[in-house]
Amino acid sequence: MMHNMLLETVLVVGVVASAFFAMYLEETVYAVLSLTTMFIVLSALYFSLNAPFAAVFQLAIATGTIAVFFLAGEMLTKKTGATTSLKKKLLGLAASILLSIPCIIGTEQTKTFTRSTGFSISTALWELRAVDAIAQGLVILTVALGIVFLLKEERRRS
Amino acid sequence: MDYIILSVTLLAIGMYGLVTKHDLIKVLISIELITAGASMNFVVFASLMNDSLGQTFMILAFSVDSCVTAVALALAVIVYRKLKIIDVTELSELKE
Repeated sequence: MMHNMLLETVLVVGVVASAFFAMYLEETVYAVLSLTTMFIVLSALYFSLNAPFAAVFQLAIATGTIAVFFLAGEMLTKKTGATTSLKKKLLGLAASILLSIPCIIGTEQTKTFTRSTGFSISTALWELRAVDAIAQGLVILTVALGIVFLLKEERRRS
Repeated sequence: MDYIILSVTLLAIGMYGLVTKHDLIKVLISIELITAGASMNFVVFASLMNDSLGQTFMILAFSVDSCVTAVALALAVIVYRKLKIIDVTELSELKE
């Protein structure tokens, strides 16, 4: 119990600190790496909350796709050249730890909700939200093709 | 451990970034933080209620979010290639 609590505390501090540094750091590459770290730690937090599907999805989509998108976007645009000093980074770390204290000491009020539908993931996804899932697949395909055409057209023009 | 406060903290950090940052990539990172905070609520409530429906909604919400990010980043790259601008305040000045 104590071990689990300690693990969750570390994960919560990790999420808040990496989210804070994603905003706080001047260097865009480091900010993107910090965002990626936040997604990974958030995924570990989902694992600790007994939500393995959400955790795997977070790890695959957020870390694997969005972080790569951001890194590619950062590479294709100009660098500002601004840097964050070590003193500012330490100050940011202290601020992020302070920010995470309310989450750690806060008492959980949400346990009062006990109503459960009892659906499994596959039932919820394919029987209740089948149209949504298929429509989203089409949207993702359209977006992927749209971006390819958009970038190809732009390349042809330039 | 209060995950609602964690979610609000992520939302606050994202809002801070949206208000103060001018770099287009940083603005998109802020939006990512806000959506991560919002979708976390689905997982937390699903976990506390021992229900899988919240995880399903998180998966659907995150798929849309990744599409939005991809389109926004593609537009950011095109804007940069065309105008050599990455500052959102300079971009908004182009309207006038």
